Amino acid sequence: MRAALRLPVGITRARGEVATSRLAPAAFLTALLVPGRADAHLVNTGFGPFYDGISHLFVTAPDLLVVAALALLAGLRGHATARGTLLAVIIAWGLGGFAGLLTAPAVVWTAITTGSFLLLGALLAADRELPVGVVIGLGALVGLIHGFLNGAESAAAGIGFVGLVGSLAAVAVLATLISAAAVSLAEGSTRVAVRVAGSWIAAIGILMLGWLFRPGA
Amino acid sequence: MAGQVAARHRARARTLSIVIALGALLAPVVATAHELDPGFLELRETTPGEYSVLWKVPLKAGRRMSLDPVFPTECSATTPVSSRPSGRGVMERWRLECPSGLAGASITIGGLERTYTDVMIRIELTEAEPLTYLVGSTNPTVVVGAEGQASQGALGYLWLGFEHILLGIDHLLFVLGLLLIVQNPWTLLNTVTAFTVAHSITLAIATLGWASAPAAPLNAAIALSILFLGPEIVRVWRGETSFTIRHPWVVAFAFGLLHGFGFASGLSTVGLPQAEIPLALLLFNLGVEAGQLFFVLLILALERAFRVLEIHWPRWAEMFPGYAVGSLGAFWFIQRTWMLLGG
Repeated sequence: MRAALRLPVGITRARGEVATSRLAPAAFLTALLVPGRADAHLVNTGFGPFYDGISHLFVTAPDLLVVAALALLAGLRGHATARGTLLAVIIAWGLGGFAGLLTAPAVVWTAITTGSFLLLGALLAADRELPVGVVIGLGALVGLIHGFLNGAESAAAGIGFVGLVGSLAAVAVLATLISAAAVSLAEGSTRVAVRVAGSWIAAIGILMLGWLFRPGA
Repeated sequence: MAGQVAARHRARARTLSIVIALGALLAPVVATAHELDPGFLELRETTPGEYSVLWKVPLKAGRRMSLDPVFPTECSATTPVSSRPSGRGVMERWRLECPSGLAGASITIGGLERTYTDVMIRIELTEAEPLTYLVGSTNPTVVVGAEGQASQGALGYLWLGFEHILLGIDHLLFVLGLLLIVQNPWTLLNTVTAFTVAHSITLAIATLGWASAPAAPLNAAIALSILFLGPEIVRVWRGETSFTIRHPWVVAFAFGLLHGFGFASGLSTVGLPQAEIPLALLLFNLGVEAGQLFFVLLILALERAFRVLEIHWPRWAEMFPGYAVGSLGAFWFIQRTWMLLGG
């Protein structure tokens, strides 16, 4: 399984459970930058596999950042591109996820998933006038890759199809909200803020890749 | 004219945001609506090494859930288990003897790992402060007084409330129905506030033991409240009006009183000292409100996002949420009435 991180969420519960969510920003960044041991079942919410699937997106840095970067990138290109990309990523995530669920491969693609959000972050920061088809194509590509891994992880974690549906729903909702925000911010000086977000995402990608390929790793 | 078009567009966007919200949050638990009441285990040390046990087991589909506390092997029951129905659960009492005491001992709720139910465990030792733990399917064991396994006290009720609303699909579906009916932000505010005030009143009344509603007819009535909203949603689509459409807050308040009794089922205060009940009630209610607010804000945020992205949906997709509310309300009403009649 690919590397991912665990973040404390929720409230303090009894044994073996998540801790309080008083995360210092530094601890958060450290957690983001240090890929942990492969672990399919990242969060057991206790609410069932659907909610586990939702939580999975929010504690898996490459998935979260790729969705954010893609939605921001598409949003900057206007609502038509955002709509197309949204549709592409949701369908591709679903198809990829289903394939991953069926085949359940034990793969480690950390470099690829990190590279995908690094690339999107860089494109977002550069704010290049990409053709609509290219943005939508990128959406489909990252949707297939990340969806495939999500499906494989859902299978390995035993949360199966329902867990995959949960993560797909989370992707759809998050991408919709972020795309709409980016469309609203695309005009004027606020566009710079979106580009800055892209540069941060790219920077996190560079740091993660550096960590992955450090000497002796 | 432009205002009407904008209003219609907003209504459609809200409708579709509810499609997403329905799919995202509700669908997986449709079949288990209202079967997620928490259990409660109280251990009160009467003399050193001897405990009075109170075990309230929730019901599922009208039957006692297969949950039982597992104590250290050296512990043994010194009296037979007395059992009686209690609201939406079964109350069991017996006495337990543990020669070495329970401090540092492990207590597991057997069978909990196969459910989505939580159990509140309260332990009163003779020479220590009371301990309260919340255990669930992912963590069915507590080590009494262990470091790193903090006793939560009444704070556990905050989580219970949040969990109860998020998994209580019938309550959320009612809120969804209201959102489909309301026409403007001011009415939305009034309506959500009225529902909140009303269910807070009856939640408090039921928790403090001043009044109660029998579970079976209450559940059927809650289902009826959801079914009631179905035709009203259709009227909104057709551009018609009714008392509910003009004054949705009144309906929200009236039915909110019913839903409050339903929320009370998630708050088991049996065995809690009287002094702790108000705080538990407050925190549980805050948890419910937080979950409800999160749900409403999510829908509103999605509504706005659909408008910004100019997403247009096919007619059938726009109508789906209304039919989902009406159909599920009808299904639950028939199912619960059938159970009420002993079917």
